[in-house]
Formats: sequence, C-alpha cells, structure tokens
Amino acid sequence: MEEQNVLEKRPKKVIYRDGEYAVKSFDPDYSKSDVLNEALNQARVEETGLPIPKLVDVRKNGEKWEIVMEYIPGKTLKQIITEEPEREEEILSQFVDIQLMIHQHTAPLLNKLQDKMKRKICETKLDATTRYDLHTRLQSMPKHNKVCHGDLGLGDVILTDDGTFYIIDWAHATQGNASADAARTYLKFSLTYGKERAEKYLSIFCKKSDTAKQYVQRWLPIVAASQSVKGHEEESDLLLKWVDVVEYE
Amino acid sequence: MENEKLVDGVESLNEKLQEIRAAQAKFATYTQEQVDAIFKAAALAANHARIPLAKMAVEETGMGIVEDKVIKNNYAAEHIYNAYRNTKTCGVIEEDPQYGVTKIAEPIGVIAAVIPTTNPTSTAIFKSLLALKTRNGIIFSPHPRAKKCTIAAAKIVLEAAVKAGAPEGIIGWIDIPSLEMTNMVMKEADIILATGGPGMVKSAYSSGTPALGVGAGNASAVIDNSADILNAVNSILHSKTFDNGMICATEQTIIAHKDVYDAVKTELIRRGAYFLNPEEADKLRNTMLINGALNAKIVGQKPYKIAQLAGFSVPKDVKVLVGEAESTDVDEAFAHEKLTTILGMYKAESFEDAMEKAEQLLFNAGGLGHTSSLWIDNTSKEGREKLMMFSDRLKTCRILVNTPSSLGGIGDLYNFKFAPSLTLGCGSWGGNSVSENVGVKHLLNIKTVAERRENMLWFRTPQKVYFKKGCLPVALDELKNVMGKKRAFLVTDEFLYKNGFTKVITDKLDEMGIAYTVFADVQPDPTLESAQKGADAMRKFEPDCIIALGGGSAMDAGKIMWVLYEHPEADFLDMAMRFIDIRKRVYTFPKMGEKAYFIAIPTSSGTGSEVTPFAVITDQETGQKYPLADYELLPNMAIIDTDLMMSAPKGLTSASGIDAMTHALEAYASVMATDYTDGLAIRAMQLIFEYLPTAYNDGTNVIAREKMANASTLAGMAFANAFLGICHSMAHKLGAYHHLPHGVANALLITDIMRFNACERPVKMGTFSQYQYPHALERYVECAKACGVTGADNQEIFENFIQKLEDLKTAIGIKKTIKDYGVDEQTFLDSLDKMSEDAFDDQCTGANPRFPLISEIKALYLKAYYGE
Repeated sequence: MEEQNVLEKRPKKVIYRDGEYAVKSFDPDYSKSDVLNEALNQARVEETGLPIPKLVDVRKNGEKWEIVMEYIPGKTLKQIITEEPEREEEILSQFVDIQLMIHQHTAPLLNKLQDKMKRKICETKLDATTRYDLHTRLQSMPKHNKVCHGDLGLGDVILTDDGTFYIIDWAHATQGNASADAARTYLKFSLTYGKERAEKYLSIFCKKSDTAKQYVQRWLPIVAASQSVKGHEEESDLLLKWVDVVEYE
Repeated sequence: MENEKLVDGVESLNEKLQEIRAAQAKFATYTQEQVDAIFKAAALAANHARIPLAKMAVEETGMGIVEDKVIKNNYAAEHIYNAYRNTKTCGVIEEDPQYGVTKIAEPIGVIAAVIPTTNPTSTAIFKSLLALKTRNGIIFSPHPRAKKCTIAAAKIVLEAAVKAGAPEGIIGWIDIPSLEMTNMVMKEADIILATGGPGMVKSAYSSGTPALGVGAGNASAVIDNSADILNAVNSILHSKTFDNGMICATEQTIIAHKDVYDAVKTELIRRGAYFLNPEEADKLRNTMLINGALNAKIVGQKPYKIAQLAGFSVPKDVKVLVGEAESTDVDEAFAHEKLTTILGMYKAESFEDAMEKAEQLLFNAGGLGHTSSLWIDNTSKEGREKLMMFSDRLKTCRILVNTPSSLGGIGDLYNFKFAPSLTLGCGSWGGNSVSENVGVKHLLNIKTVAERRENMLWFRTPQKVYFKKGCLPVALDELKNVMGKKRAFLVTDEFLYKNGFTKVITDKLDEMGIAYTVFADVQPDPTLESAQKGADAMRKFEPDCIIALGGGSAMDAGKIMWVLYEHPEADFLDMAMRFIDIRKRVYTFPKMGEKAYFIAIPTSSGTGSEVTPFAVITDQETGQKYPLADYELLPNMAIIDTDLMMSAPKGLTSASGIDAMTHALEAYASVMATDYTDGLAIRAMQLIFEYLPTAYNDGTNVIAREKMANASTLAGMAFANAFLGICHSMAHKLGAYHHLPHGVANALLITDIMRFNACERPVKMGTFSQYQYPHALERYVECAKACGVTGADNQEIFENFIQKLEDLKTAIGIKKTIKDYGVDEQTFLDSLDKMSEDAFDDQCTGANPRFPLISEIKALYLKAYYGE
C-alpha cells in the first residue's frame, strides 16, 4: 500500500486505492467476524440492487484482513457541502431521497436492528434502571424490515462526475425501522455538524417520509445509548443527556 | 414473610408463578364472607403502613412529597375498601328467576401487575386489594427505580391477608426486575394490569395476554369567563402541587378566557406561582424536554430545584412555575405532560378558542383519552350549554368540572359516584381496552347462566266481531248511536258497487244521517297508486269512519288507504321489512285509528282479512309487493253477514274456501300455534270439510254459506295470531309470478307441504323457544282426528287425512297440478330459482315448523308443477 494511494484513514482501518479497486484494510487485531460480517452485509445489500460498490474479494494480506470492492471515483456529499455550503438545502434534500430509497429495499437475511440495539443497550455502562427503561422503550417500537444503513452520513454518499451516486460503508447495515435509521443519522449530524444541520436534516426527512418528528425522536435515547458503547469521551455529555429521559405515565 | 427464594431469574420466577397459581386455585374456592374478611384486614394493614411506605417511596425514587404519598396510600387502602366492601365478587352475584338469568363471578387467575415509579406504593396497595377482593393471585413487576417500596407494600398486604386466612403466597413479586422477567410475567399471567409509561403498556398489549393498560395524561384546565376564579386557581394549585405533580390526571396547562386571564394570573401569583420571564421560559423549555422526551431529572421536583437545573433561580417557597405560551404545537415544551411542578398557560380569545386549544394540545402533545377539566358557572343555562359542548368535543374519558384534576381524576374525593382507582383507562383514544377507572369488575370473569324460557304469546282480534245473516245494518247502527260518527268513507270494487252490494250500507248511513262517499275503484291485487288515490279522496272528505267492503283486495286496499290517510309520511319499504319477531322488529308501526274507525266487511269466505293484521299492496311501477303485518292494521270492527256471500260464483267459493282451509292447517302446524288458536283452527277445518262442497255445489244453501263464512273468519283469527307457513310463502310467489288465484295456488301446494313438514327427521327445524322438537306429524294427526279421520297409527291417519284433503279439492273442482292450470313449462322453469328464493324470504316462512332450504322449496315447486 503506497501512502499516496490512501483514500481514508480511520481508527483500526485504512482504505486505499488499488487500481480499479478500493481496498478496506483492517488492523491485525480487528475481529475476524466483524470483517466477514461487514463483507456479508455488503454482499447482501449489493444483491438488493442498491447502487453500491460491488464486492470483489475478501482476503488475507499478511496479518491483515482486507475487503476489496470497486473503486468509485467522485466526491462525497460531505466534500461537496464543505466546498459549497450554500448548496446545503439541495444536498440534504438529495441525501434524504437516497436514504429513503435505501429504506424501500428489503434484505431478509440482514441482522435485525432490534437485536443489535438490544445488544448495544446491554453493553452500555448505564445503570440498571436506565437500561430497563431503554429496553422497555425499544421493545415498544414497531419492528419493520427495511434495509437500514445504520450509520448513514454525508460522507457515505459518493457522487460521480456523470451525476450517479453510490452508497458506501455497510458495516452497520441491518434491517428494521427506518425511523431508527433516521435517528442514527440525526445523532451523527448532531455530533459532526451540530444541532442546526441535524434539525434541518430531520425536518426534511420527516416531511419527505411523512413521519411524525416525535416518532423519530422516540428512537434517540436508544441510538444515543448505542453510540455511547463506542466510548468517545467528548460525546458522553450529550449522549447521557439524551438517554436520561422518562416516558410519560 | 419473604419470597422464600429470591425471584431474580427465569427459574425462580417460574417457581414463584407456580406457587401463586397453586395459592390462587385454593383461593378460588373461598366464600364471599372469607374474601371480605381478608379484604378488610389487608386494607387496614396497608393503611397502618401508609407513613413508612410513603417515606420509602420518596427516599428510593427521589421524587414526590412524603405527606402527599401518605394521602395516596391512605386513599388506596380506605377508598378502595369503602367502594367495594359490599360488592359481590364471589359466586352468584345476580339472580333473576323470572327471566332465568344468573350471573356468577369467578376469578381470572393470576394478575401481572406492572407498577410505575411515580405512584409505587399506592398503586401496589390498590392492585393487591383489587386482587384479594376478586380471589385472584397477583405478581408484581416493580420498576427497578421503585422496587424496594413496591415490594414492601405488597409484602404488608400479603402478610395481613394470609393472617386473615388467605392462602400463603397469593401475592408475589419479582425481587430483581429485568425486562426479560417482566415480559415473562406478562406472558404467563392470565391478565395484565399495567400502569406505567406507554412503552410498558404497549408491551403488555403485545404480550398476547389480555391486558388492562392505561395511557399518558396531559390535562388542560379550561377557565371560562364565568368561572369562580378564586376556587379555580387555588384548586389548580392544590392539585398541581400534589406529590409534585406526579399524578397522571394532574393539570398540565391552564387555558384561561381573555376576560379573566389577568385575574387568574394575579391570583396565581398571590398564591405562590412564579411566572417565568421569556428568557427563563426558554431556559426551562430546553431543560424540560430532550428531543421531545421528558427530562428524568425534573420529574416530581419542586420549582426551586427545577429552576436550578435550568440555570436560573426562584425563591424556595415558589409552588409552581408558569410558562406563558401561544403555540399548541408539539415543539412547544409547555404543551406537554410534565409530571412535575410546571404549568403552561394559554390565553383564549373565546370559549370556542379555549376548546380548540385544549383539543389541539391533546392531539399534538399527547394525553388523548385521559383527562380534561373545565372551570365554569355550571348553574346557569349558558354554562350548562358550554359544558355540554366541552363534553361533546374533547376526546378524554374523564371530564372534570370545577374539580382539581389530580385528586378529582382518581375518583371518590370530589364526586362520590366516580369510582376510586389508581389505574385510569383512556379508551381507544389512549390505546387502551378500558375507558373507565379500573375496578373489581375488570378483574372478574362473569358467567351468565341463561335458562330456557318461552316467549310471551298473545291473542289479538278486532274489538268487535259481529256475525249473522242479515246483521249488517244492525251492526252499523253503532256508528251513530254508540260512536257518534259523522262521515263514512266506503271502499269497495266496481263489481260490488254496480251490483248494489253497497246499497244496504248507504241506505243505513242515509237513515242515520251520516255523510258518506264511495270509492269503488279497487282492482284485484290493489296497487299503491290506487290506494294513494283513495287516500287523497279521504284527505279531501275527512272521514271519521272507513268501511271496506269486499274480498281480500278491497279490505287490504282499505287498510292501506287508512294508513296513508292517517300517516302520509309512512314508508312502505320500512313497514314491509321482514322480521323474525313481530315484537322486536326495528320499525315501529305508526299508531292507527286517530282519525278514523275501520270496519271490514267480507263478501267472500276465505281471506280472513277482516280479522287479521295483514295487508298486501303492490307497487305498480316495480311490481314489488309489500306485505304489511302489524296489529295496528287490525280492523276495529268486523261484520260477517252471509247475505253478502250468497251470490259468490263457484270459482270464488272454491278458491277462497280452500284458502281458509290452508289458513287453518298452517296456523295449527305453526311454531307459534297456541291453545287459543288451535281451537279456532280445528273448528274452521271441521266446518270447511263439512260445508265447503255444499256451498260450492249449491250456492243458495244458506247454512253452508253461513258455516263457510264463520269458518273463514275463525281461520283468520287463528292465523292472525299463530301466523302461517311455507305453503303461503310459496303460494304468494306462485300467484305473483304465474297469475294463479291465491286460493288455487295454496290448494296446489298444501298437501305436499304437509308431507314435507311431517318429516320426522327434517334437515332443519323451525327456531322458536316453544318449539322443542319436530312434531308437525303429531299436530296434523290431531287435526285429522278432530275431523273424524281414523287409522292404525299416526302415519296411516296422516295419509288418510291427506287423502281427505285431496278428496275435498277434487270435490270443489281444484285441478291436480300447476301445469293443469296452463302455466307454461319453460316460463315456470325459468322463474323457478328466483321464485324459490323469494318464497324462502317470505314473511310466512318463519313460523313454519320445518325451516326450508331454498333447494327444498324448489323441489316442492317442481313436484306441484308436475304432480310427481
């Protein structure tokens, strides 16, 4: 892997270009099952016909596991919105359209969002009472079977020169309730860009999907708890505040 | 008494559930006296522990006020006991020997009780008491935040109950709560009593176990400009501060009419409310709701602490924080339920606007189905009208008037017919199965033991039935001398009119000085159009007496004109609606006789219409026949004068005579036949067998004519009360489809139908409480014997009776088959399906002893057509 070919560096993984391929290379201590799960998710989503980079290979390169997929040339929506902030409205609108398109698909073999959230709540460091309330809340949420990206942000959508787009990074994909997916994105926006853009996103999502805002908001304590498992110290205040709410009695 | 083993996992929970089940099985055998003693002891023990339990709850949950929780505990013990101390909950709770109905209350089994954090001890006391009173076992699933005090309350009630004789282990609980265990309890229990947040209630409803769940509150207090402000404001403050605002029925917003807004505000401030300035209000908004959800830190807290959390300060003695708001949208934090000492306040432009706002708050910010309250002068007429409008409009299951809603909503404190409860149903609007305050009746299975009873029957006939050859003028004499009638309207047909049959009547009317007019335009199968014409003439003439002279057509037409004259608005489609029970029909027939007295005078012997409550009219445009049946249609007087029948032609004598015979036979075999109708029917049959051939062969024979006249009216009285059967159902349609005289149609069908009915193993028998088993054969044999038929056994007697009827038909010139009457075969077959279905649906079918299938009717028609 040549330094100039690195597309992105993230904790424990590097994405580099190898000719017509993009290769996601995981650190040697990265869980093998997580790598394979990510590859399997990507394969499953690919089979739905959604525009995503085709999975080409999963291989061992020395000590490192690698996922090989098509390389998609272009800019992410995140890059575009950073360069041309005046286009925010238009880009968010396109972003929501893409997310809603994802939600129109089903992939019956993907992991279930409810199961994943349940597991995450158990993994949090929250006290037993809060976990009990979160579990109760989660259990009461409708169980759907829509494809959910699970971590969709502006950086996950690549726009090519000819105007077609591709959605990348399917590590967290599940099937479940689209509002949970929107809540996840809202949280991601809040942590990345702040409240203002997050609110803009949510209102566009609710309007286009004809969803009540409260319905998406009901997922926020759950996705916040799930996020807290990652243990990012700087997020902890906001996440705890989001989690510490009560249901009406 | 501890849970012997800590209930902390699936296994120990399973054991606990088994233990409660076993205890409950024993408890189910307890008497009302035993149960009441246990109920009382448990209530007393809970009340004794009201203070320690209140302290525990505040300490453990960090919410609410000890003194108020003491009151709630006291209330749960005392008011629940008082409300149900004399309620029967064991075994027979209601008995009605006359109607044969007994109600028996049985326990449901094991109740899963989900307990909230806001009212843990009082709710636990409430639910255990209800369980004990209803002989149910109960297992508590406490909230982890309030588990210690919930369990303590349950334990106190259990100990007292067992001491008073309840089975050991009748109340249980989960020691270490988890959602998994809560789910298991809900799945395994027989019913769930879920009080708590919507998530928990939703889980309860989706567990598959019947559930009584309740919903979220968000009560508005609307203050009208007629309200007593002093009472309103202080009551609301009292209510809102109770246990720091944690009762779900508590006021969340005040909506004050603009006329009194300032006065309300002034009084609120005077009594300790703090009005937030815009900056503080915004700070509070941001603290109160997090992503639309209630911040757990502010629930059940005092204003001082809440203000601190929000980043401003208020004096320690402030009772309530008031945020003035305009928007009723979901984004307005003050629009939501707050479960704490914060009130939103809105200014309404009018009462209408106040209702609109209250409604919007429910729809936008939650609380549908729960509670709303109104402050108003409910003694004035205007106030009562507003109250009705408010009650009509708001979709909440509790509408409290001039009442603090927290303590008012739980019942029995401000209104003493309003059931006390700590579980408040919110109806379908709140996603609940109950809309009332939950009580013992929701935790019982009520069995209804219904013993068979027989229908009340009746015998109805015209008030006056006059008969004897030559009696007509004598009977009519009453019109003047008894009733003082002044104007008579005579309905008849052209033939009778032209041949002078009306003369004896008109002469008598002239003699008495009664004005009259004659409507002589009745056709066979009278139409609605002609009846309408007659009724128009009546409206012009305004008779106080109607005289219908003729056969069935003239008398029926007269009855219909009578209806149209008295009730021009009547709808024939409604009046003709098919019914199962004449006393339970949907349509109420209009009251007849208010304008005119109705006299029916037959000129032939057969129809019986002079004494029946029936009339048939045809809509000339659609061809639809409307058979009307109601005792309002009974003539007031029937006059049977043989003089009018002497000249009846042979065909008429034959057809109407055999019609009378089928009336008698069907009335006797009817499921509604009674001793009262049987005698009339039998006598009619005897007379017809004896005199019909003579009347047919020798029309001048006065005795035969008179006996036939009587037979016809007797049979009419029988079927006026016992109704008919499928011979008439089928004859009605056969006559209508193929233009056969009604009597002939009956004659062609009756014997086949008697065989059909006499079947000892019918596919279906008639439905009527009195009709216990298929017994038409026995009934026909009774008729046969009464008519002198003999035989070795019932079957032979029946066959001989059929033969006797066939002989009678032959003697009076009735042909054998429908075909013999010239009905075209193809036309008949083409109409068969529709005719069979129509016959099945005829009003006469219901009283037949054998309930026919449409295919059976079809087969009967075919047999009658071909004779085989």
